[in-house]
Amino acid sequence: MKRKALLALALCATLAVTGCGSGSGSATSTPVKLLVFGAPEELAAYRTLIEAYQDARPGERVQLIEASDRRDLLARLATSVAGGAPPDVFLMNYRFYGQFAAKGVVESLDERIAGSSLLDPADYYPVAMEAFKWDGAQLCLPQNVSSLAVYYNRTLFTKYGVPEPQAGWSWNDLVGTATLMTRDDRGLVIKGTEAEGAARLPAVHGLGVEPSIIRLAPLVWSNGGEIVDDPQRPTRLALDSPAAREALRNLVDLRLAYGVVPTDAEVEAEDDESRFLNGRLAMLMTSRRATTNFRTITDFEWDVAPLPIYRQPVGVLHSDAYCMTTGSKNKDAAWRFMEYAMDAEGQRIIAATGRTVPSHIEVSRSSAFLDPNQPPRNSQVFLDAIPTVRALPTVSTWPEIEDLSYGILENAMHRGDKLDDVIRELDTKSRPMFARGENG
Amino acid sequence: MSGLILDGVSAAYRDTTVLHEVDLTVARGELLVVLGPSGAGKSTVLRVVAGLEPVTAGRVLIAGRDVTDLRPGLRNVSMVFQSYALFPHLSVAENIAFGLEVRDTPRREARQRAHAAAETVGCAGLLDRRPGQLSGGERQRVALARALVREPDVFLLDEPLSNLDLSLRAEMRSELRALHDRIGATMVHVTHDQTEALVLADRIAVLRDGRVEQVGTPDEIWRTPASSFVARFVGSPAMNLLPADGVLRPTGDAPALPDEPLELGFRPEAVTLDAVDGAPATVDRVEVIGEDAYAYLTLATGHPVVARVPAARRPDRAAAVRVAVRWADAHLFHPATGHRFVP
Amino acid sequence: MTRPDTRSRRQLALMLAPYLVGLVGLVLLPALVTLALAFTEYDLLRPPSWAGLDNFVGLTEDPIFRVALLNSVVFALVAVPLRVLLALGLALLLHRRAVGVGTARTTVLLPTAVPEIAYGLLWLWLFNPLYGPINQLLRIGGEHGLTVLGRTPPQWLTDPTSARAGIILMSLFTMGETFVVLLAARRALPRDVYELAAIEDATGWDVFRRVTLPLMAPVLALLAVRDAIASLHFTFVPAFVVTDGGPPPYSTTYLSLFVYQTGFEYLRYGYAAAATLVMMVLTLAAVLVQWRLIRRYRGRYLS
Repeated sequence: MKRKALLALALCATLAVTGCGSGSGSATSTPVKLLVFGAPEELAAYRTLIEAYQDARPGERVQLIEASDRRDLLARLATSVAGGAPPDVFLMNYRFYGQFAAKGVVESLDERIAGSSLLDPADYYPVAMEAFKWDGAQLCLPQNVSSLAVYYNRTLFTKYGVPEPQAGWSWNDLVGTATLMTRDDRGLVIKGTEAEGAARLPAVHGLGVEPSIIRLAPLVWSNGGEIVDDPQRPTRLALDSPAAREALRNLVDLRLAYGVVPTDAEVEAEDDESRFLNGRLAMLMTSRRATTNFRTITDFEWDVAPLPIYRQPVGVLHSDAYCMTTGSKNKDAAWRFMEYAMDAEGQRIIAATGRTVPSHIEVSRSSAFLDPNQPPRNSQVFLDAIPTVRALPTVSTWPEIEDLSYGILENAMHRGDKLDDVIRELDTKSRPMFARGENG
Repeated sequence: MSGLILDGVSAAYRDTTVLHEVDLTVARGELLVVLGPSGAGKSTVLRVVAGLEPVTAGRVLIAGRDVTDLRPGLRNVSMVFQSYALFPHLSVAENIAFGLEVRDTPRREARQRAHAAAETVGCAGLLDRRPGQLSGGERQRVALARALVREPDVFLLDEPLSNLDLSLRAEMRSELRALHDRIGATMVHVTHDQTEALVLADRIAVLRDGRVEQVGTPDEIWRTPASSFVARFVGSPAMNLLPADGVLRPTGDAPALPDEPLELGFRPEAVTLDAVDGAPATVDRVEVIGEDAYAYLTLATGHPVVARVPAARRPDRAAAVRVAVRWADAHLFHPATGHRFVP
Repeated sequence: MTRPDTRSRRQLALMLAPYLVGLVGLVLLPALVTLALAFTEYDLLRPPSWAGLDNFVGLTEDPIFRVALLNSVVFALVAVPLRVLLALGLALLLHRRAVGVGTARTTVLLPTAVPEIAYGLLWLWLFNPLYGPINQLLRIGGEHGLTVLGRTPPQWLTDPTSARAGIILMSLFTMGETFVVLLAARRALPRDVYELAAIEDATGWDVFRRVTLPLMAPVLALLAVRDAIASLHFTFVPAFVVTDGGPPPYSTTYLSLFVYQTGFEYLRYGYAAAATLVMMVLTLAAVLVQWRLIRRYRGRYLS
């Protein structure tokens, strides 16, 4: 009998440790678990939101679960779903939610939206809402709708007497401006293509842009090309059209022909965002996310300009959304939190942190976002871009495809791999990944 | 010419001096046994000669060469360690040839000489074995063969027999002596076993607390110990020591005694128990060892005495006996210094 | 069987029980589950479905897996001997008593005591191609960011060979445990054997080759086996934290990182399980080969 008791104890311990035990407890006392990742400023924004929510709705509780980065968030989400104890709500980019959407992990919100007295889908930018529809069902609610912009160091431009980027500027304007802004430590224009060990190296680089598919995509689109063979049912990365090829050529030439972007070693030594913060980068192509970080800058003035244009203005959608897990045991409370975070008040709180371009149309046009006292002065750039933004495919294997393309494109830009090989490699290696993927 | 000279050698271990100005001379071809209790510095003498310990004062000369500042490898000595220090990963042949091979002797020659050395000590049949497969006595032979193989100026043997059982020890003892007689090498043999010393040695150096107490032939050590320490250390059971002032008056012609207290020493075998005018004593206990018996007595004055008697004529326990000893068998020592009194 | 014997056995079983429960519950069961999952398609989100040998067929055709496998094998072949040799060298250098030896031993041990992630971040700083202390040091005396020999200093994080070398370099400094074992092994060797060698005038090289190395060989071999097993594991954090599997495409993607990425980032858990199984089989094979070598050595020398 004693032995049996011991065995039972041991089994219990094993089960508890391996996490197979099912959590229970009444809905009212259990806090809504919200899984996010982000820089400290971003996490602080979520804490502010949660505090405001808990103050506004006494009795409601939300627990923030912080992942260190996107990879960590994906791993945590997947393992917690497998373990049967997923978070109730998680925040995820549309580029990465496909694998969870395809596998039935994300709850459809259509019924709840229809029954909600607070939420009206028409209040939100349709392009963002659309990105989170899977098989016609609204799975997640987009918290923001950002796009790429060119951040630039106004003080440096004034110092060197170079005209600032203007709306409607072309790719050639960008290259010209970047060339003029690449300077050595005496402030003279310098070509950064010299081999390592040259007498003078750039002290300021003209432009920072990472050689990734999300940076390349709007340039290709603007030139009239496509990055995949079929945007609805993609089967491969297709950069073999002349338009796509030209945009890719021009991107890698920033390093290979003009030397206006830092070398890979320089990027490893100091990433573009830090380089911009430290005043050693004249322009940086990135999303709204960088704003929170750049608001700490006190040494110089900075602003944003729209992306340069090839033939027509096109942006690339950046959007994160609140998603509810199907395995959540606290769905009603989770929904109440999502409603709060999505409606005008919640959107204003997050917008005030500078982190996001609100997906709520009205809030995005309010001073919560366009606050003239907060840099960038030209935040309107982000709003102007929204009508022309396009979304990337939401195929479930997209994370793999992005990792794959990043490695290939990085070698194209920094090692100077032959463009034909780069395009062929992107094509052939992405095929099996697309083939394994599921589309919404 | 001398095989080995220690000239005023002192040595220290950390801050403790373990050898105090030791002077020793070993003649070429002589077998000197260094005898002493543990901690007397016997092994240090060997290690200083081998160069494993530095001297703090004095000189070491081997075959007329001053080797004081030479490293061990240049002194041309061989050493047999108490543990034998055989290489477990090498065969017997490789072990014996080790010294030759590291000195770049051609392999063939090294093997031949190893074989010859093994024959000399009677372990030629073991050449392919490994130390792990050998008995204690066999290991001892291998260690000896390894020392022999190089024809050094001096052999140093550090208690080589102490790990053997009694019968094997006696056997190896005589073999060692025979070996020395055969090759005529200069040897220094360290032991704490006085029997071993008496049987083996040409001369014995008795060491006590890092000082040489006496150097002499086994006969001299036995018959005229230079101090009460030597007297008691050599011989088993140890020599009896009593105050010389009338506790027990030896018989025969008394030497001229000075007017100072002395100690009287005599070996157990010199004692008779049935003397008519002997000192009265009682028997505390009797140990019988074959033909001999040792009787442990207490004199009427309370002093203990050990006597060796034939087993057949041993007294009973608690019997009253009368103890006597002859002047001819007696030794006199100064009680303060322990030095022998010579009339 | 006598009574006390039964009792001591029962005591033994009782004392072993917590360990056995842990071993079975936390190691063996998950390992078995992983083995089973290797034959399924499983994405952690939906129930696994039987896939037979599909995962293994997929692995043979997967260029990333092949690169990761090659990287891991090369790493083990280079890093394991280097680690053991470095530890041996330091153990032989520091086994004597001397001034400063204690401090030196502590210094050797210190990197092992640093938590893995912190250790990775530290090296990220050390390896920084422009501002990192390693390259700053290499550039002393040179001009225009070159070394004194007029060559570019290693591009630790952007050049594939330098990055692989960097990961090996990182792993070298965590051989503190191996060092301690070898230090103890060296100190346990009998002193008189070395004194005998000194009397026979053996040179330092002779002593090392003919005495120290053969006497320590069994310990060295065991440590090599241990390191070979562990090498699959200690590539993970450096590759994850410092190089992120790059420089592109997959210069420092080792099996451990491959398994993590496919399993937890790309949610191909079954596939990752299959890769894990391959990894385990390879480790087992390596261990068996080494084990046979050790046994042969023992048979020859130490019976």
